[in-house]
Amino acid sequence: MRVAGNHGAGRDDQHGVDCDGCREAMSAALDGEADAAEQARIDAHLGGCAACRSWQRDAALVTRHVRTAAVGAGPDLVDRVVDAAPAASVRWRGVSARAGLAAVGLAQAVLGLVSLLGAATHAHAMTDPFMVLGAGMAHATHETAAWNLALGVAFLGGALFTRHLAGLLPVLGAFIAVLAVLSGLDLVAGRVEPGRVVSHLVLVAGFLLGLAVVRSGPRPGTGPSPGARWWRPGGRSVVADDGPTRPAPTPWERESDVA
Amino acid sequence: MDDARITALALRARDGDRGAAGEFVAATQHQVWRLLVHLADPSVAEELTQETYERALGSLRRYRGDAPARSWLLSVARRVAADHLRRRSRRPVSPAPLAEDDRPVGGAPRGDLAESVAVRHAVDALDPDRREAFVLTQVIGLSYEEAAAVCRCPIGTIRSRVARARADLVDALADRPAERPHRSG
Repeated sequence: MRVAGNHGAGRDDQHGVDCDGCREAMSAALDGEADAAEQARIDAHLGGCAACRSWQRDAALVTRHVRTAAVGAGPDLVDRVVDAAPAASVRWRGVSARAGLAAVGLAQAVLGLVSLLGAATHAHAMTDPFMVLGAGMAHATHETAAWNLALGVAFLGGALFTRHLAGLLPVLGAFIAVLAVLSGLDLVAGRVEPGRVVSHLVLVAGFLLGLAVVRSGPRPGTGPSPGARWWRPGGRSVVADDGPTRPAPTPWERESDVA
Repeated sequence: MDDARITALALRARDGDRGAAGEFVAATQHQVWRLLVHLADPSVAEELTQETYERALGSLRRYRGDAPARSWLLSVARRVAADHLRRRSRRPVSPAPLAEDDRPVGGAPRGDLAESVAVRHAVDALDPDRREAFVLTQVIGLSYEEAAAVCRCPIGTIRSRVARARADLVDALADRPAERPHRSG
């Protein structure tokens, strides 16, 4: 390598830019990362600094050598690593889990509606002798029916807008766990008919299908997205001026995404 | 192949398209390998490249396409290299000796051999942070912004590291008159 020699970086008070600052700017300029104003400051400094002129030549030479260095072809690893990629089954697994979840949501919503109608007709028929924590039997039944209907809607919504499904699972998991214990106790004590307990299995199915959908991975564009996905403070628009959408080169989700 | 196409391949691969996964690997493996040659060393680059793809493809299911797939992949490679260096420092082994006639990766045209070797040694001798910024921008060809995303640091940091790496290289190569090529004869 024929570079001229050591270049001490000093201060050039005459032009208001020290040699270190100028060299950083020259380095950026070599990579096309300096703007016009910066280029003007570089030129002004170079006019009176022979050491930096020489450094500029050497830096350009070194850069050229690195960029044009001969390299062999690396190994071809396609056959060795391609099996680590998601299998072809993930797509239809995800799709069928969503379809199943939608069906379960529909069933659950129907169950909720039926019990709501049942509760509404019964409420007129009797005056309620049992008051528990401020609610009569009729009101407790209303609450249960509303909750069942809401879960059906949540399943349907989750099947359509999978981005929001993950948030539902902890609530549902806790509900199912508590309900399972209570149903067991009630069955033993004869406080509930087996048919009613069996209808809870719809919830379990919804939970498992929801889990399968979430595990089949994120699918952009499957519903209304949180604003942060399209606009980040300090980030830029994801849509480039010239047509195809271009992901913004801002930091991505989480460290754990790359395991 | 441009970034948008590579990202599209990654998204298809995520949805179970093995053909796209193969194309994704084929389109990027050379750059990943070159990065690892510089961040780790040539003797383990192939093994680490394989590890990079195993990790990246294995976690592809969680890739959303928010960042360009190439930068995402290179950041995985960077982490693989860091893990390798950490493992190696825990149980120290003697590094492979760098012979003076060590050929640059893949070989070079005759007259430039000595220069290539000198440049490679000088790049390898850089401070690790500077070397990383320099290799990502000069060898891999990322913009400062993309390199900053891969390293998770501000653009200004990349800019100053690249400049310092250049200054180090200019100094290092000026200090080694013995390695100048002898073109006479």
